[in-house]
Amino acid sequence: MRIVNRLLAALLALALIVGAVLLIIEVIAATLGHQQALVHWHQSYAWAHRTPWQQGSVRVAAAALLVLGVLLLVAELKRPRVSRLPVATEDAGAQDDVAFTRRGVAAALRAAVTDVDGILAATVRVKRRSVSVQAQAAAQDADAARALKEPAAAAAAGRLAALQLASPPRLSVRVARRSR
Amino acid sequence: MHADRTNRAMLTLFALLLIAAGAAAGAASLGFFGTATKHRTLLHNAVGDSYGRQGDWLWPVTALVALLIVLLALRWLLTLLFTTDRAGDLRIDSGGGKGRTTLASAALTGAVTEEIENYRGIDSARARLVGDPAAPQLVVTATVADCADLPALRRRIQTGALAHARATLDRPDLPAQLDLTVTTKRSSRVT
Repeated sequence: MRIVNRLLAALLALALIVGAVLLIIEVIAATLGHQQALVHWHQSYAWAHRTPWQQGSVRVAAAALLVLGVLLLVAELKRPRVSRLPVATEDAGAQDDVAFTRRGVAAALRAAVTDVDGILAATVRVKRRSVSVQAQAAAQDADAARALKEPAAAAAAGRLAALQLASPPRLSVRVARRSR
Repeated sequence: MHADRTNRAMLTLFALLLIAAGAAAGAASLGFFGTATKHRTLLHNAVGDSYGRQGDWLWPVTALVALLIVLLALRWLLTLLFTTDRAGDLRIDSGGGKGRTTLASAALTGAVTEEIENYRGIDSARARLVGDPAAPQLVVTATVADCADLPALRRRIQTGALAHARATLDRPDLPAQLDLTVTTKRSSRVT
């Protein structure tokens, strides 16, 4: 989001500069007695002079502005996805802000779960308060896959505890059998 | 972090302006401001009338406001494109002498990176000094092999490289941010 925000901010700043410079040029041109300098604003002026508020195109433009504004506002106010999970600091220095990255936590849990015999692969999703592990068993048999849930969950819980996070997220582990 | 808060604030403000403009235009269009307004043309309103009657001085004032907007937007754009949050060279206290000693921040971050990368279980490390050179913050990102003893390695970085950086700068209160990430790639240093 930070990169997108920088891009949007650069575009907005550029649009403000271009718009304001054009306005200044047109005001100077009009003051000096010229009709139009760079923008054919007379056409827009005439259109605005004859178009009533109830016209369909005005309603469409109003709706577009409203939707765009709401989308941008929601995007800006939305809480960003957690990027780092702080480590419990009882033994850390007071000046140290130590954390595991979200990807780091996911990689650690994925490695722990795939180390369990019979687990082929795992997908880990880390959120602020919860971690979900979706593991795939090597076996095609449902009972065999179900039997792996406990060791997979234990491995994931053990690795999560080893990270010593300040607020350990809730862990959920699912093991699915191999489809074919 | 540079300019990120400004970006967010300005984009939020822009979103609110879009909503206000869209809602006002929609309300006028649907007749919430009276049926007379609904049938009026876009320029037939108090603002349009003012510019029509007093345009001689209103347009130059508008141009001056536009000039102010250009200057502010230009400053914003230049900040976005050319500034960094990295601290420059650090001034070292030379004990009241006349000389002046500076330490290139790259020298410190290079030493921190090298020390951490030599720890067993570390795959790679990156360090940078951010903020005001008078009160910098050390930001370290270390990639750790998943088979390493993570708590022990974390403590080693804190009591080793971070402590050494504080001692080098003679700043026991130097704030540090340590981000640990885990890789499943086996480090050549892990035995």
